[in-house]
Amino acid sequence: MTQASNPKKLTLYVAGQTPKSLAAIANLKKITEEHMQGQYEIEVIDLRQNPKLAKEHSIVAIPTLVRELPVPIRKIIGDLSDVEKVLVNLKVQGE
Amino acid sequence: MSQSEIDELRRRLSEAEDTLQAIRQGDVDALVVEQHDAPQIFDIGGGADAYHAFMEVMNVGAAAIDPAGRILYANAKLTSVLGFTQNSVQGSMIGEVSPPPVADAIDRLLEPPLVGPVSAEVTFERNGECVHFILAANPLQLSTTFGVAVTFTDVTERVRAEAAEQSERAARAVIASANEAVLVCDTNGIITHTNAAAQALFEGDALGRTFAEAVPLVFPDATGLMRSEDIVAMAVQGTAVQGVEAHAPQAPKVKDYLVSAAPLQIGNDAISGCVVTMVDLSQRKAAEQQQLLLMRELDHRVKNTLALVLSISSRTLNHEDTLEGFQKAFTGRIQALAATHNLLAENSWTNLTIEDVVQSELAPFTSGAAGRLVTHNLSRLMAPRAAIAFGLVIHELATNAAKYGALSVPGGRVTVQPISAAGEERFVIEWRESGGPQISVPTRHGFGQTVITRSLQYSASGGAEVEFASEGLVCRISLPLEDLF
Repeated sequence: MTQASNPKKLTLYVAGQTPKSLAAIANLKKITEEHMQGQYEIEVIDLRQNPKLAKEHSIVAIPTLVRELPVPIRKIIGDLSDVEKVLVNLKVQGE
Repeated sequence: MSQSEIDELRRRLSEAEDTLQAIRQGDVDALVVEQHDAPQIFDIGGGADAYHAFMEVMNVGAAAIDPAGRILYANAKLTSVLGFTQNSVQGSMIGEVSPPPVADAIDRLLEPPLVGPVSAEVTFERNGECVHFILAANPLQLSTTFGVAVTFTDVTERVRAEAAEQSERAARAVIASANEAVLVCDTNGIITHTNAAAQALFEGDALGRTFAEAVPLVFPDATGLMRSEDIVAMAVQGTAVQGVEAHAPQAPKVKDYLVSAAPLQIGNDAISGCVVTMVDLSQRKAAEQQQLLLMRELDHRVKNTLALVLSISSRTLNHEDTLEGFQKAFTGRIQALAATHNLLAENSWTNLTIEDVVQSELAPFTSGAAGRLVTHNLSRLMAPRAAIAFGLVIHELATNAAKYGALSVPGGRVTVQPISAAGEERFVIEWRESGGPQISVPTRHGFGQTVITRSLQYSASGGAEVEFASEGLVCRISLPLEDLF
């Protein structure tokens, strides 16, 4: 299975419906639709329902977006309203 | 320490710095805290539950939105107002899920800088009916997020009540300004409203009385069975009554009316009474009366004229020996009659001056020769009856003068003027010919002379006498005093 046919996974950690969580979900959806259609598979994890899942990526602040693959792992903290910052962090040179 | 371990430490340090910076900048609103080896979620600035609960007990629609217009929370009241389910709108842009007029109003309210409470009234359609809301926006800090609280207050009832009141005021003004009498009755026929024009129908106040009692009517064109209460009863049962002529014997001023009555139905409600309108017919009645009088007068005049023509015809026939003579004399007399009729018609059968008749009858004999007819002081008015008779007399005199008298030669002339002294009980006009050939008393008494002497004898003060003076004919015509003005 090649990387191109296997979408890269993004995990967004939120805390219920806090203002920043709501904004991060909506902003991420918009960015992936407009700039990277089909390249990422998105999973939203609500830590308020299951706090233990914070351990996997050592999440401290919410909301946080985690790009696991390709390595190295990257984290973007905040509501993802700065589109440029999100794109720079996700589109690493040469990928 | 290996290079990879150093890289890992650098990465973790960078991540820790990013986290601290995000917390400082207010980019996050919840933290994961380890407690007894179990992670817990803590909201910065308190949880959302408190403000959610607060919004739910508000009795107006309310939403918390972020500066971009994203709905952070909308209470149940608002979701029912705008017709969407609570789950579907959180995180959505309020401008995308609201009716366009609401979205526009919110766009205007959120225009920066939003410093204090601002409000706007908005109207939109919901389930096929028009609803009205007042939107108010106020800045709000929700943990680390700057937000805006928007409330929706339903003012539909108030707006509708105002519109209804406005409409009722307009309806009252319409009724009050109508020229016709307008009376509104309830289903029992009791008068509830009247306008100013209706005051001509009754003495005092009619409100609270039944229509039948306040305005008893007689319907001359209907059978005696129809009465005021029947008009109202028909309208209340849904049958409009249109334009029935009625007489109101007890009305203090106008008594003749054209009555109409229509059921009063407000919206889709049942008939709640009737509206009676009464148009003043007195002017129309007077005009009809005047027309009737004129027709009778015309009939009378036509009959009189025909009788006169018949009389002239038979008398002329008796006095003329030849058909040509008859034709000439008869035509001349009928033309004389026609000349006076023309004058009367031009003056709408009002009174004519003596001068008018003299000039009209002599015009065919004196035209083109100045000074042949001299008149003085003939400005008195006379009634049509006298004008016709006087016209015939002048015609006979003029015909005679043209044949045998002053108008038969150049230089002859006729002077017409009043000769009676002031205070005399007669008014006499003298016809005096001069400058003509010598004349003598004719041996034969023609019809012309009969016309002259008898035409004005319909009155005791009317008549004429002819004097055949040798220097010229003189005729003294006495005009009926009752026909002079």
